[in-house]
Amino acid sequence: MRDNIKGGALTETTFLVLLATCSPMHGYGIMQFIENETGGRVALGAGTLYGAISTLQKKRWIEPIGDNKNDVKKDYIITQLGKQIAADEQRRLAEISLLAERILGGGNT
Amino acid sequence: MKKIAVRYFFDFTEKQEKWLNEMAARGFRLVRCGKLTYKFEQCAPDEYQYCVEFVGEKSYSKHKDYKKFLEGLGYHVFTKNINLNWSVGKARFRPWTAGAGKVATSPGTYNKELFIVEKKNDGKPFELHTDTEDLAAYFKILRNTYLNGAIAGIAVAVLFAVSIFTPLDLVKYPWLAMAVFGLIGVVCAVFGVKHANIAKRYKEQ
Repeated sequence: MRDNIKGGALTETTFLVLLATCSPMHGYGIMQFIENETGGRVALGAGTLYGAISTLQKKRWIEPIGDNKNDVKKDYIITQLGKQIAADEQRRLAEISLLAERILGGGNT
Repeated sequence: MKKIAVRYFFDFTEKQEKWLNEMAARGFRLVRCGKLTYKFEQCAPDEYQYCVEFVGEKSYSKHKDYKKFLEGLGYHVFTKNINLNWSVGKARFRPWTAGAGKVATSPGTYNKELFIVEKKNDGKPFELHTDTEDLAAYFKILRNTYLNGAIAGIAVAVLFAVSIFTPLDLVKYPWLAMAVFGLIGVVCAVFGVKHANIAKRYKEQ
């Protein structure tokens, strides 16, 4: 998964996984969370989710809880760095949203 | 009722997945699979859904970790071969993969290039890859796998062709060997191009 480093934009999948792991959650929980919170608009496939979790772990934006390697259901939690990244993304989205409102006008068009 | 079927899929992901889902629609659930055989048990029609995923590029530890992850989601995972090779104690070089996936061994990841993933039907579509970027990356791996087969097949065919016109004596029927390997190479090339086009389409989205 490629997140735009320069502009700071995250992919939707990345941002949603970061939000989901703000409380400890295992793979299935993350899947359910994202599907529920987006009203079914985003339903992540298991392979895509696995890729996202691996990438985010490598970047140290999320981490597994506990050290049990044989645990089938590993829980993940967002790291300090991950929280910072998510906050930056929130700010960026708010900026974009304001810009869009100014140009397109508010309301649901 | 039990049912045993013998099949080999050259189009190992798409066709195999379609066939398994057709069997499930008729009320047969996969319980075991061998190199060429599939054992089914009777279930309610459409009780299960199947996805076939290529995992041949993964290292042994990633392979195990991903399988565990899928099982943690409540799916049942079968491993399946793409080659027809029964030897044990084998090591094969896989130039199309990255890092530790480059060497496949048996026992190990050799002959376990596919995951057949079974999920209890909940009425929702069953897909493992949903992100366009992720799909592009996945089909690129399939493209490289088939193109690797194409290059190998055609290279061996050329070798036999050379042996026909030179004193080089390899086998009794070099024409036949050339035709067999050439055909494998060409079919691999066709699938390689097909998957290349799919990967390109996702990348452009």
